[in-house]
Amino acid sequence: MAIEILMPRLSDTMEEGKILRWLKQVGDRVEVGDIIAEVETDKADMEMEALDAGVLVEIRVREGESAPVGAVIAILSEDGVSGVAVEPQPSTAAQPQVSSPLPLSAAQEREQAHAAEEGQPDSIERRATPKSMSALSSAPRQEGIAVRQTGKGAERKVREIRESRMRRDLAEAQPTPERVLASPLVRRMAEEQGIDLSQVRGSGPGGRIVKHDLEAYLSQVRREEQLSQPAERPETAVVPLRGAKEQFSRMRMTIAKRMAESMREIPHFYVTCEIDMSEVVRLRAALQASDRVSTEVTYTHFLIKAVALALERHPRLNASFVEDGREIKAEINIGLAVALEDGLIVPVLHQCEKLSLLEIAAQAHALVERARTGKPTSEDLSGGTFTISNMGMLPIDHFTAIINPPQGAILAVGAIKERPVVRDGQIRVAHTMMVTLSCDHRILDGVAGGRFLAELKQLLENPVGLLV
Amino acid sequence: MAQYDLVVIGAGPGGYVAAIRAAQLGLKVAVVERERPGGVCLNWGCIPSKAILTSAELYEAVKEGERHGIKTRGLSCDYAQVIKRSREVADRLAKGVEFLFRKNRIALFSGTGRLEGKNRVVVEANGTGARQIEAERILIATGSGERSLPGAEVDGKQILTSREALLDTEVPEAIVIIGGGAVGVEFAYIYSVFGSRVTLVEMEKQLLPGVDAEVARELERSFKKRGIEVLTGTRFHSVEKFPGRVEVMVTNGTEIKRRTAQKVLVAVGRVPLSGGLGLDTLGVEFDRGYIKVNQQMRTANDRIYAIGDVIGPPLLAHAASEEGVVAVECMTGRREQGVDHLRIPACIYCQPQIAVLGLSEEQAVARGYDVTVGRFPFRALGKAIAAGHEEGFVKIVAEKHYGEILGCHIIGYGATDLIAEVGLARTLEATTTELGGTVHAHPTLSEAIMEAALDAEGRAINI
Repeated sequence: MAIEILMPRLSDTMEEGKILRWLKQVGDRVEVGDIIAEVETDKADMEMEALDAGVLVEIRVREGESAPVGAVIAILSEDGVSGVAVEPQPSTAAQPQVSSPLPLSAAQEREQAHAAEEGQPDSIERRATPKSMSALSSAPRQEGIAVRQTGKGAERKVREIRESRMRRDLAEAQPTPERVLASPLVRRMAEEQGIDLSQVRGSGPGGRIVKHDLEAYLSQVRREEQLSQPAERPETAVVPLRGAKEQFSRMRMTIAKRMAESMREIPHFYVTCEIDMSEVVRLRAALQASDRVSTEVTYTHFLIKAVALALERHPRLNASFVEDGREIKAEINIGLAVALEDGLIVPVLHQCEKLSLLEIAAQAHALVERARTGKPTSEDLSGGTFTISNMGMLPIDHFTAIINPPQGAILAVGAIKERPVVRDGQIRVAHTMMVTLSCDHRILDGVAGGRFLAELKQLLENPVGLLV
Repeated sequence: MAQYDLVVIGAGPGGYVAAIRAAQLGLKVAVVERERPGGVCLNWGCIPSKAILTSAELYEAVKEGERHGIKTRGLSCDYAQVIKRSREVADRLAKGVEFLFRKNRIALFSGTGRLEGKNRVVVEANGTGARQIEAERILIATGSGERSLPGAEVDGKQILTSREALLDTEVPEAIVIIGGGAVGVEFAYIYSVFGSRVTLVEMEKQLLPGVDAEVARELERSFKKRGIEVLTGTRFHSVEKFPGRVEVMVTNGTEIKRRTAQKVLVAVGRVPLSGGLGLDTLGVEFDRGYIKVNQQMRTANDRIYAIGDVIGPPLLAHAASEEGVVAVECMTGRREQGVDHLRIPACIYCQPQIAVLGLSEEQAVARGYDVTVGRFPFRALGKAIAAGHEEGFVKIVAEKHYGEILGCHIIGYGATDLIAEVGLARTLEATTTELGGTVHAHPTLSEAIMEAALDAEGRAINI
C-alpha cells in the first residue's frame, strides 16, 4: 500500500511550502514519529513528522524546491516494497480498496465505501484528505503529517494552527474549486452521470448543491445543447458542455492514472490473429434452438471458455510481473471490460477453469448485470488475472488494449463479420473475427503470445471441445 | 392612528410565529386576535387533545398493568379531571404566547380584524367599538373552523364538534363519530379507552383518506381489535334526537344502518375562515374559499399575504408556522423559495400513532418515480416487544436508482417522534444508503427506520 505524503497547509495564508531539507532519503525506513523533512512556510520553518510507518520510496519535491499546498511531495510504501512508486494493485481498473491498515476519517471511509460500491477505487490510499472531504476530521492529523515548529512553543503553535484551520473550515461557506458542498443524493447522481459539481451553483445552506440545483443545471445544459444542435442527435444521459472543463470522476481519474502507469511501466507488444467463428456461430445457434438450454450463450461466453482453456495450457499468460520474476496465478479469473457512461468497469469471473460453458454463461450474465447497474460486490471487481475487452458490438475490425496491471496480458476482440477466406485454394465466405493480444514483454516473448493465440484459434475453430 | 410595518390577523400557530419572526427581523408588528392567542392549535386542537390522549394512554397502560404483574383494584377514571387538566395545559401555553408577544414587543389587538383598503385594518372589539391601524403589509392567518354537517346541527350537548368534545366532561356510553380523518380517529381512540362503545363512520374506502393505504388498513385492524366499529364507505344519513339518546342513520349506498348512542361527534373536516375580512374588494383571489397565494405566500394583492389553514391543505399547525416564517422572510427580501410541503410531516396521535412524511407509495408511482419500498414491522424489533408495542410498521418509499427518500409512513407506538429523523434525512437529501448506514442505538424503536431503509435496498438485517 502506497501512501502519498502531501504538502501540508501550515498556516492560514500558506499557499506553498519549500522543502529545506529531507531528513529521510529514498529507501530509508520511516517510523511513526520520525521527522522526515523541514519545510519553510511564509510564517516559519517547521518539521514534518511521519504518522505512518513505511519505506520512503519516492521523493517528488527536492530540497530547495517548492510545492503548492496539497501537492504530493513524497511516497511512502507501507509494505516496505521499495523501488516502485506506486505499488500496482491486483486486478483491474475497477479494483476496490479492500483493506485499510490505518483508521480512516469518516469521510474517507464513506468515499471509499462508496467507491467500492460503485466500483471506483483508488489504488493509492489518500492519507491526505482532499479538502472536498471532511476538513474537520483531517485537521487533527494534518494530512498524515504531524507538524512541529522548530524551537520553543512548538506544541502550542501546532494547536493554534489546527484550531484556526478547523475554525476556518467550519466557517468556510462559499464553495471553492477544491471544496464542493453537495447533498448525498446529489453526489450520487453526479457521480453516476459524470457531472462535474464544481460547475453547479448551489442554493442550499452555505451554497450547498441540492437536487433542485442539479436538475436546473442539467436542463440548462440541455437547453444550450439544443440551441447549438438543432438537428437530431442520439440521446445520451449527459451531453458534455462544449468549451467547459470536465472534472474527472474518481473512476475516470483512476483510469487515467492506471492506464498511463501501465503504458509507462509495461513494455507492451501485440499479436493479432484472424479466427474463423463459423463453427461457433453454428454451435451457438444450435444451443439457442435447444430447449434443454435456457441460458442465453453469447460469443463472449464462448470466448471466455476458450480463453480459460488456452490459459490452462499456457499458464505464463496468466501471470504477473513481480520483482525479479513472474508470478503464475493459481486461478484463472477472467475480467470483462464493461463500458459505462464515462468510464469502464471490469467485473471478474472467478475460477473459470472450473466452469462449464453454460456455467460461464449463467454467471457472466449476472456479473455484468451487477456491474452495469452499479451494484457489484467487492469480489466481483477483484482478483482478475487476464482481461477480455470485446468491442464486437461495434463495427470494429481490430484494436489494441492496454494491459490492466498487474495482469500480464489482455485480449482485444473485434466484431464477428462475414469476410472472404481462402480454404483449400478457394475463396469462401466465413464469419471471422480479429483478436489482438497485448502482452507484458517483461514476462512474455512474442512467441509465447503467438502460441497462445494459435491455441485460442484452434479451440474456437473446433468449438465442440468447449462443450466438454 | 397606530402605524405598523406588519399587521397579522390571527394569532394561531401561523400568525404568532410569523409575528415573532417579523419582530426578530426588526419589523414593527401588531397582531389582531378575536379570541385568545394560540389559535385552534393551543386552545381547541393539538394541545388539549394531546393532553387528553396522554391521559387515555396512561389509563390504558394502568389497565394493562396486570400483564406486568401490577395489581390494580377498583380502577376508575374521573373524566372531568382529564378535561380539567387539558384546559390547564392549554391555558398555560396560551399565556406563553402572550409572554412571547410582550418579549418581542408585538402589539396585541383583541377583536375581529377586517381590512379597509390594502393598508388599513379595522379591529372591532366587543363593547369598545372599532379601532383602526395602518400597516405597510398585512398577513392573513385566520385559520379554519369546523365544517358543519347538514342534518346534524351542532347543539353542544348531543351533537358535538371537536371543540365541544374537548370541554365535555361526560363519557357517553356509546358515541357515533362521523368522519374518519385525524380528529375522528383520535376521538375514537380516546372514547374507546374511557369506555364508550364507538362507531366510526368514514365516507371514503379507508380511514384517514390520503394516507398510505397500508397504514390505513393497519389502523382499521387495530381499531377493530379494540372493539371500535369501523364503517368505511359509509355516509351519514340522518340523526334523530331523543331525551338521553340519539338515533343515527348511516348508509353505504345499499342499506341504512341505525346506531343508538348518547352523542354524535361531527368531524367531517374544516373550512377556511376567509369571509368577512374585506378581501374581495382588494383583488385577493380565492379557490373554494381558500385564499390563493404564490410560493412566497403573497396573494394577488402584493401588500397582502396569507398563510396557514386559510390558504388550504395541509391543515397543520407546523405547516402554518413554516408558511408564516416563509411569508415574512419573503416580504423582507430574505428569501425566495416557498415551502416544500413534501418536507412537512403529518402526525396522528391515537394509538397506534401514525406519522407521515412526503409521498405515499401510490402518489410516488403516480408521479412516475421508479419506486422501491422498504418495510419493517415493529414486531421484529426487540425494543417494541419488550415495551409491548408490537403493532405497526415503518414503510419507506424511495426512488429506486439513487435511493432518494420520497416518503415515510409509520404506524405504531412512538411514530410521531420517529418521523423527525426522516424529515432531517429529506432536508439534507440523504438517501436510503445514509439512513440505513446510520448507526441506531439498540434497543430503540428508531432501529425500525434504519431497517426499513436497508430493506428498501434489499439488505435489512432483522427480517
